[in-house]
Amino acid sequence: MDALGSLLDGFRVALLPLNLALAFGGVVVGTIVGMLPGIGPINAIAVLIPITFAVRMAPESALILLAGIYYGSQYGNSISTILINVPGTASSVPTAFDGYAMTRAGRASTALATAAIASFVGGTLSIFGLVLLAPLLARWAIRFGPAEYFALMVFAFAALSGLAGTAPRKAVASTGLGLLLAAVGLDPFSSVSRYTFGQIKLLDGMDFVVVTIGLFAVSEVLQMLETAGGGAAVAGVGRVMHNVRETLVVGWSMLRGSVIGFLVGVLPGAGGTIASFLAYTSEQRLVDREGTFGKGDIRGLAAPEAANNAAATGAMIPLLTLGIPGSGTTAVLLGALLGLNVKPGPLLIERNPEVFWGLAASMYVGNLLLLILNLPLVGLFAAVLKLPRWSLFPGVAALSFVAVYAVNGSALDLVLMTGFGVLGYAMRKLGFPLAPLILGLVLGPLAETNLRRSLALSGGDWSVLFSSPIAMGLWVLAAASVVGPVVLGSKVRRAFEAS
Amino acid sequence: MTGRSDRIAGAAALVGALAIALEARGFSVDFLTDPLGPKALPLFAAGLLAAGGLLTLLRPEQEPHWPDAGGRTRAVIAGASFLLYAWLLFPLGFFLATALEGAVLARLFGGRIVQCVVAGLAISVLLFALFGWALGLALPVGSLMSGLTC
Repeated sequence: MDALGSLLDGFRVALLPLNLALAFGGVVVGTIVGMLPGIGPINAIAVLIPITFAVRMAPESALILLAGIYYGSQYGNSISTILINVPGTASSVPTAFDGYAMTRAGRASTALATAAIASFVGGTLSIFGLVLLAPLLARWAIRFGPAEYFALMVFAFAALSGLAGTAPRKAVASTGLGLLLAAVGLDPFSSVSRYTFGQIKLLDGMDFVVVTIGLFAVSEVLQMLETAGGGAAVAGVGRVMHNVRETLVVGWSMLRGSVIGFLVGVLPGAGGTIASFLAYTSEQRLVDREGTFGKGDIRGLAAPEAANNAAATGAMIPLLTLGIPGSGTTAVLLGALLGLNVKPGPLLIERNPEVFWGLAASMYVGNLLLLILNLPLVGLFAAVLKLPRWSLFPGVAALSFVAVYAVNGSALDLVLMTGFGVLGYAMRKLGFPLAPLILGLVLGPLAETNLRRSLALSGGDWSVLFSSPIAMGLWVLAAASVVGPVVLGSKVRRAFEAS
Repeated sequence: MTGRSDRIAGAAALVGALAIALEARGFSVDFLTDPLGPKALPLFAAGLLAAGGLLTLLRPEQEPHWPDAGGRTRAVIAGASFLLYAWLLFPLGFFLATALEGAVLARLFGGRIVQCVVAGLAISVLLFALFGWALGLALPVGSLMSGLTC
């Protein structure tokens, strides 16, 4: 096998002491910045790029370090999400649903261990995909035009109806609210300012971090105030290792999440977010028979975590083989590549084999390091929860303030965050799901841009949306994910009643 | 009365959607940039919000379990303290404002006075060390404080 031989060469590069140390340093820094909301890997990478230039690091070594921060931060992100309900990125929001619910139920250690294992599975499986399918998938991703992207967004929203819970009418209202928040700011096409009410800071639009931290972390603090008195924050933290049966059940969830995450992650754009939401909803539809999802079901944690990390690796494919960054972080990585005189594109694998294969191998090593590092530390992380209520929740609130302040350095964001905290509290009390709001906010601009772009290209002809096989396939999937559960559900019910 | 909260929420969503749609009428452009224009997304969003709100208004669910008077008071004080924090952050500086806010919240979460002071200071020092020193984030020093030292 040609690819396997090249991969072995890659391991020779990755296992050089310097590169191994860099991968280790990268994943450690990545985990730490990932745990701190509002900071994110993009800043850490941006700070380190000039240093790698200054010490004249070899391109593959620099990339091993920077990519280590990138996927290490995915691990760190899930830690703050699970322990204190503070998702730092949109793609870790689905982790909060069951991950934080597990923490509330006194199973934080199990949740953290599952997240680490799922991240490892998603990360490593998709490296095989990266190695075997990179050129093939690159050709697939490049065929995605605005019409296909719009169809993908519609599919993501349609799949979301699985998250609607008991009251679909409330999910519809939440989606509307999210799309509305997406509209705030300067319209990129016409430069009309929408719902900014004269506030210059709103021209850039609603920042995701401000909305999420308000809706999740601040509303959580408000909810915690309902009960008086001190004492420990949660009853217990649970076991690190779960029994074999639990792992087997979760194994399938991880596999499914990895595949979805990898395939969606390859598409530039909101890859990671769509991937983890899709993995969560499809997992819920497939296995949630007792209605335990959202109440601390371990499968609802494993699937999106695997998808999240698989998508992060999948995103390296368009970056390396097409030179198209799919996110802010990969855009900074692209800048680093160009600065190191490595030209991404279809010829990268031929021209710089040590970069491509070295990176692939080092991602494998890095994920293994993350697993080895994270599992023993689970107890340490979870110890945070043993803090008494009077120190943990004020700490969560203060961390939220710094995270929100870090985004723009503005006090207005803190006021907005408080507003979203109150809104999130009311929505949770009344059973309006938060997930559709987040997805509307994140995907709204992408859906709008792609729809308007495709209509502008076709001169207002709506049939352009259905003109390619890929787009048609996505429309069929979207229709099936709305209609399917209704039809199947009633059939299953009838079969039950007949028996 | 059952479902009163849902009726209020549904009505609020309806009114909000109407206001949004009215505001969107003003989004006009002098020349045609694209066939759809800037109004489509807000109007679509308002439509969803109105539909969801109307159905919630007509078919409310059971009343949720709202907190007792004590819980309500604590939540209101906490919310007000968040706003106060936003207002005092720049005059007092990050360190002092965060220590004060941390102490107030610790009190709301049932800490004793000494515990509140310790919690406030510890939170402030930790976050300042992490974000300010280690990560180099420019946290506000405080206009009042710099005035005192100069």
